[in-house]
Amino acid sequence: MLDRILSALGKCGIEDYHIVVKDEQSAELFFIKKELDMQRLKKVQTADVSVYHVFEEGDNRFRGVASVQVQDSLTQPEMEKLFADAYYAAGFVKNKYYDLYEGTKVGMVQAKDPFGEKTLNEMVQGFAQALFAEDVYKEVFINSAEIFASRLTVHIRNSRGVDVSYNRSRVQGEFVVQCTSGQDVETYQDFSYNGWNLDAIREKARNTIELTRARARATTAPAAGEYRLILSGGYVNEFMSYYVNRASSFAIYQKYSTFSVGCDVQGGEVSKDRVNMTMKSNVPFSDEGIPMKNRELVKDGKLMMIHGGNRFAQYLGIAPTGNFDGYKVEAGNVSIEQMKEQPYLEVVNFSDFQMDWFTGHFGGEIRLAFLYDGKTVTPVTGGSVNGNIFEAQKSLVFSKEMQVEKDFEGPKAVAMDGVSVAGI
Amino acid sequence: MKVKQSEYLKEIKPVLIRLRDRLLMEFPYASLLAQDSTSKNYSVSKTNVGIQMDQTLTGRGFVAKVYDGKSYAEYSFNQISEELIDDIVSAVKERLLPMSNQLPEGVKKSCYAMLADEPMEFSDGTEYELDPQEYGDEQIIAQLTKYSEAGRAYSDQVLDCRVFSSYQKCSKLFLSKNRDMEQNILWTCGGLVVMATRGEEIKDCYKGFSVLGGMEVLEKIGKHIGEVAQSALDLLKSEPMIPGEYDCICAPDVTGMIAHEAFGHGVEMDMFVKDRALARQYVGKQVASEMVSMHDGAAAASEVASYFFDDEGVPAHDTLVIDHGILKAGISDAQSAMHLFAEPTGNGRRENYQRKAYTRMTNTYFEAGNDRVEDMIASIQYGFLLENASSGMEDPKNWGIQCMVSVAREIRDGKLTGKVFSPIVLTGYVPDLLKSISMVSDTSELCGSGFCGKGYKEWVKVSDGGPYIKAKIRLG
Repeated sequence: MLDRILSALGKCGIEDYHIVVKDEQSAELFFIKKELDMQRLKKVQTADVSVYHVFEEGDNRFRGVASVQVQDSLTQPEMEKLFADAYYAAGFVKNKYYDLYEGTKVGMVQAKDPFGEKTLNEMVQGFAQALFAEDVYKEVFINSAEIFASRLTVHIRNSRGVDVSYNRSRVQGEFVVQCTSGQDVETYQDFSYNGWNLDAIREKARNTIELTRARARATTAPAAGEYRLILSGGYVNEFMSYYVNRASSFAIYQKYSTFSVGCDVQGGEVSKDRVNMTMKSNVPFSDEGIPMKNRELVKDGKLMMIHGGNRFAQYLGIAPTGNFDGYKVEAGNVSIEQMKEQPYLEVVNFSDFQMDWFTGHFGGEIRLAFLYDGKTVTPVTGGSVNGNIFEAQKSLVFSKEMQVEKDFEGPKAVAMDGVSVAGI
Repeated sequence: MKVKQSEYLKEIKPVLIRLRDRLLMEFPYASLLAQDSTSKNYSVSKTNVGIQMDQTLTGRGFVAKVYDGKSYAEYSFNQISEELIDDIVSAVKERLLPMSNQLPEGVKKSCYAMLADEPMEFSDGTEYELDPQEYGDEQIIAQLTKYSEAGRAYSDQVLDCRVFSSYQKCSKLFLSKNRDMEQNILWTCGGLVVMATRGEEIKDCYKGFSVLGGMEVLEKIGKHIGEVAQSALDLLKSEPMIPGEYDCICAPDVTGMIAHEAFGHGVEMDMFVKDRALARQYVGKQVASEMVSMHDGAAAASEVASYFFDDEGVPAHDTLVIDHGILKAGISDAQSAMHLFAEPTGNGRRENYQRKAYTRMTNTYFEAGNDRVEDMIASIQYGFLLENASSGMEDPKNWGIQCMVSVAREIRDGKLTGKVFSPIVLTGYVPDLLKSISMVSDTSELCGSGFCGKGYKEWVKVSDGGPYIKAKIRLG
């Protein structure tokens, strides 16, 4: 398809373009309890093409862009019309001028497939077997599960020399655990692995089973008030995404964020841990074809760099880092056991935890939390957390223990003081 | 005017018929869903203008669904020609079906009957006033730019005003042994987000708009710029909510979020199949105040989730979910309905041809009542008018509510005081909230500017809404 696209762009006289062609195959299994409810295969090829139009109005120079999706079924005249229309449309997109990212031909970066020679079918079946190997109890069990094994080949090419390709294999999905002993409750869990990590899916299944058992015993909501809050699991990732979003060139250029290199991301009054973060990428090139490498984002609470793609980096006069798809938060100095020596409310399951990086507000309804009043630990359910990171970040404490979640590596838990909870 | 048939689908249909017939030689049931869709997103803010095709909603592709006498399997693909028919049939037989050969220990294949396939022929399109493709990118961007500039000029405290619009023009063709159905749908939506700043803190206020139609939606957006900008400025002065249970009036967008998130997800009958929905035990029982009647259906309203048949070839319905407080029925896809010995309601929807069909909501709303909004506010001694629903999450298993709302306007002695509280988390038990509804306004609004996920994926276009309602709600 690439040759046809290049030919059509040439026919239209379009000089600046960016093309991403993706070939994806997947094998998918859908389970309801102990039954396979549906099996699916997918084989698709898609191409997204951005065409650029440089123009001037008075003293202002602009680079407009319009993006289209190209179908293999398009005839050559249809494809040419699509690009010509997009080029015309890009002439109304008055974005301040910037140079396109200039790269080189690297060809296919053939990293060793972490799944080896396994077929998609073997991948999806292997993970299904690992997941259901933990489904051994009567009163707490896997209610439903969806598992997707996929292989993707990405080819990125632009008019300024970028010509790179890479492969990516992944198994991802979700499952729900139900417990019928005590109250009838459930826990939703998702997963995503870039390798043959059967131990990890089994551990996740075991932990989710235990959490669901605990939720079945939780009957009351915590009393309304302020708590020393502990967030754990994937919520640490969501909470810390505030710093990632605020440190992006997109946010800073548009003044949605006041972060600048060297600034104290936690504000001036920090009484406990300082944040340390590194941006990471799971793929060798960004969506613009920029070679990706790990980069330190925050060191001891100070912002070390602004991250992001080519356009906004140029506007800010900095080098583009490319868009990352993951990050790491460094561990703290206390164990989770030490963290739990003082009274706390540890929320291990929200119905939907939200971190609003504009307002700094975070919160959600509590599905399961453990309340320690200094004497006993009680599972609680209901009520909601309603906090603001501008206050919470003054008293962050990160655990020593680390977790590896989807596109995130970081402490298993983070504690913070004085967070408002609406309860009974 | 009516949306026209896709030329591509018209051209490729004979090939699809041959593929269907080949599959029917191998399987007792086979169907094909073909999609030809174009979707574009436009946005304008202070420093950014964008025109791009939506990667999820745009595409030409196909799903073959086959029944092997016991269960169902699907193959999604987007390359087809006369020469590829053999390859597709062999992929289904030799790669798709063997996937269930090595199941985990103790797991077996589900057993279903064959899908009903009564003869049906159909072809129709929805109406529109301004075709986005004819209206043109230039005019759309010019209109959005004008609105964005007006929003930014509203006050020095306005940091930015992002205005956007999206449309999807989608043609679908469903072929089975006895069905030959075609539909052509156009929806357009838009919205504006005004961001206002005070130091580190940024507050934003959002309002969405939608229409089953075309770029006529732009006129609606233009009428609300001042109102949204003022709400963003009000939020800068907002105070945190003191947690507690209050008398509240919910604006139609908040009513819609309650209908959709708190109740609608709980009556998706694939959740009944999995024993994941409490609602299954409450069919025929009172779950809400007698003032409450709730609908869902692609044929229940003329909005962004309207269509003529679903992605499994089942005609659209208007399902009366709650009738004067009594839970009457759930909504279903074809396979779930078969599992539950129920009639499918035309709610089997896919994110696109690449994804599985699930039971999904469409246009979900509460019916209007008889009260005037002024009387509803006047009836409250101390409470809040809740506006600007921002997000929500379902909990069909336990009927817990989680809805986030940006604006709570204080009401004291029957009058709005001008004081604003934000942000707000609504929590509680769904039937408690619905049974506490004591007044329902005589006006009703639906909007579908966003998408609905199944958990955290499978995004489909939905609308929701209803009247203003008065209820007792726990706020935090």
